[in-house]
Amino acid sequence: MRISEQAKQLCRARILEKAAELFAARGFDQTTTRDIALAAGVAAGTMFNYFPSKETMAMTMVNEALARGREEFLTRLEGSESLEEELFLLIGTELRRLRPLRPFLGPVLERSLSPFPRKSVCPEGETARQEHLECVRQIMQRHGFSAPREDVAGTIYWSLYLGILAFWTGDDSENQEASRALIDYAIRTFVQMISGNVQGGPHAR
Amino acid sequence: MPAERPQKHGIEGRASLLDLMPQQEEAARRRLAELVESVAARRPPTTSFSRLWILGSLQAKVTCAYLAYWLRSRWADADERERLKSETHLKAALELLGTMGYLRGAVMKLGQMLATFPDALPDEFARLLPALHFEAPPMHYAMVREVFLDEFGKEPHELFESFEREAFAAASLGQVHRARLRSGELVAVKIQYPGIARTIEADLKNLRLLMQPMRLGEDWDNVVAKLAEVERVLLAETDYLAEARFAQEVGNSFTPEDDIVIPRVYPDYSTRRVLTTEHLEGVHLEEFLAGNPSQELCDRYTHLLTVATLRALYRTRCLLADPNPGNYIFMPDGRLGLVDFGCTRRLTEEEWQFQCEVEEALLRRDEEEMERLIVKSSLYDSAEQMGRERLELIGTVIRWQLEPWLTDGLFDFGDPDFFRRGMDAMVGVTRKGFMRGMPVHIWTTRFILGARGIVYRLKGRCDFQAIYRRESGRNMAAECAETRRSGRTAHVAMPPPPPGEGRGEGADVGLGE
Repeated sequence: MRISEQAKQLCRARILEKAAELFAARGFDQTTTRDIALAAGVAAGTMFNYFPSKETMAMTMVNEALARGREEFLTRLEGSESLEEELFLLIGTELRRLRPLRPFLGPVLERSLSPFPRKSVCPEGETARQEHLECVRQIMQRHGFSAPREDVAGTIYWSLYLGILAFWTGDDSENQEASRALIDYAIRTFVQMISGNVQGGPHAR
Repeated sequence: MPAERPQKHGIEGRASLLDLMPQQEEAARRRLAELVESVAARRPPTTSFSRLWILGSLQAKVTCAYLAYWLRSRWADADERERLKSETHLKAALELLGTMGYLRGAVMKLGQMLATFPDALPDEFARLLPALHFEAPPMHYAMVREVFLDEFGKEPHELFESFEREAFAAASLGQVHRARLRSGELVAVKIQYPGIARTIEADLKNLRLLMQPMRLGEDWDNVVAKLAEVERVLLAETDYLAEARFAQEVGNSFTPEDDIVIPRVYPDYSTRRVLTTEHLEGVHLEEFLAGNPSQELCDRYTHLLTVATLRALYRTRCLLADPNPGNYIFMPDGRLGLVDFGCTRRLTEEEWQFQCEVEEALLRRDEEEMERLIVKSSLYDSAEQMGRERLELIGTVIRWQLEPWLTDGLFDFGDPDFFRRGMDAMVGVTRKGFMRGMPVHIWTTRFILGARGIVYRLKGRCDFQAIYRRESGRNMAAECAETRRSGRTAHVAMPPPPPGEGRGEGADVGLGE
C-alpha cells in the first residue's frame, strides 16, 4: 500500500522535529541517526528514504528557517531602505529565524557550508548558498548594481557572510548583539567596496 | 566630519607634519615626525567609517604628533638604547590608538586640545572642552528595528504611534529618535549601539597596554586604578534601567518653581538598551547661541545650570560627569532641560567626607589645611614626598576650580582671563604628566571642564555663592564667624545630608588631575 503524500509530509516533519530536539539536547555530533529514528518512531531504512544523513536533516532545517526569514524580510521592507539597510535587514531577519537552531549549528554549518574544496559537496549547503546569494543579487539590482552570478563581489560577499555565521553561532553576548555590530561593519565594508565609496554610507554624519 | 584620506606620503607628508610639531630639538622632531607619519599613513581597518576618527586625517595626525611629543619628553634623559626601545613602544602605542573603537574620539580630542594650546583663543578651547565625550557609531533604521525586536519583541512602529527613522541627536552610547506614544505624548527614545560594552572593555584593555611601557613608575598603579574606574563607570552607563532610576531620583529633587526639567521616564517603553523619556522642546547650546541670546537670558541659564549641577551633587551626591553639551536643552519658555544621566558618578562615603574637609578648609581660608588635603588627594603622605613643583601646579588648578566659592556677588564665567588661567593650569599639569590622584577626580575634572566650557561660551554670570549657600544649606558667614571665635583649624566632618534637604558641600573639587 502506498502511503499518501500527506502522511509522507507528516512523517518528514516528525523526523525533523525529533532531530531538532535531540540536536539541541545532546549536540549534533553526539546524536546518531539511530537515536533520531527511535525518537521519531520510524525504521532506520524508512528514515533514509527521507534524509540520507543527519547533516541533510540539519541543513534542511536551516534552509527552511532561512527561507522563512527571506519571506519575512520581504514583508518587512518599507521601500526607503539604503543598500546597507536592506542587506542588514535580510541577514538580521534570517538569523532571527535561525536562532532556535543556534545551539547546534556550529558543526553543521562548518561541514555544509565550507568554502574549501571537498570530495562531496552537501547539496543542501549549496542550496543555502544559491538561495541567499540570489536574494542578495535581487537587492543589489534594486539599488542599481549589476550582479552577475559567481563574480568577485559575490565571492567576497559570501566570505563575509560565512564569517558572520561563524561568529554568530559562537556569540555568547546577550541576544548576539556583538554579531549585530559585526554585521553592520561587514555590510558597510562590502557596500563601500562595490560602490568605490570611501566616504561612508548615507547615514554617516 | 570629513573622512579625509591620507594624501601626502613620505617627504611631503613629513614636512607638513614637522610644521605641526613643537619647535624644539630638530633631530628629535624629525625622528618623531617619521614615526608618526609611518604609523598614520597606514589606515586602520575602520577607516572612513562614518563618525569614527581616522588616524590618517590631518586632525588625528596633529594629535598623534603632540601625543608623541608629550610621551617622548618622558624619555628625554634616557640613553640611546633606552630611547630606541621607547620609540618602539611609542610606535606600538600609536598603532593601538588607531584601533580603538569607542575611546579614540575622546583621546584624539584630548590630544587636539593639548595641541591647540596655548595658541588657541579661549573661545576655541571652550568649544573643544564639551567635545570630550564619547560617541558610538551611528545606527541606520534597519539596525534600530533589530534592536527593538530583541528588546521588546516588536518593531518600533508596532510599539509607538509614530517613530522617526532618523535620529535627532547622538548620545554617548548610541542615538536618540523622536516618537509618539499611542496616548499622544511626544517622547525621546535613546537606543544603544549593540555590543558597545564589549568595545569599551576592549578599548580600555588597549589603553592599559598602550600606557604600560610609558615609564610611569610610581604612578603606574594609580593609572591602573583610574582605568578601572573609567571602565566601571562607562559600563554602568550601558544599563539604561539604572539610568532611569537615577533620573527619577534627581528629578524628585526639583520642583516646578525651579524651572529645571528632568524628563519623565516611560518604563513600559524602556529596557537595559532602550530608554524612552518625555521629549523636551528646545535647542542645544550651539543653536541657542546662534540666536544671539540676551545677556539676561545667558545669565539666567548660567544660574539654572549652576543650580542643577549643585543640587544633583548636594541632594544625591552625584556628579553629572558627561560634559556633552547635548545633555542640556535650552527650552523656549526659558527653562533648562537635563536629558542624560548615563554618565553619573555617585561619591562614596569616604569621598564625600573628603569633599567635606576640602570645603571646610576652603571656607576658613585655611591654607595649611588646604595643602594637607591637596597632598592627600594626590595620594602622597607629605608635601616633601609630593614635591614642590607638583604641589604648586596642582594647587593652582584646585584654586582656580574653587574661585567661584570665594567670590562675593555675580561671578563672571565668561571672563576670558579667568578661563585662560584655568586652562593654562590644567594643561600645565597634563603636560607634566602629573596624573596621580584619587580615581573619582577623573569625573570631577571632566564635570568641571565640561560645565565651565559651557558657561564660558554662554558668557554667563550668576551669584554662585548665593546658589551654593542655598543648595548646600550652609551659612558661610556664620561658619567664618565661628572659626574666628573658636580659632580652631581642625576640620569638622559634616554629617551626610538628610534626605530631601539641600545640605552638602565641596561641590566640584577636582583634585590632582
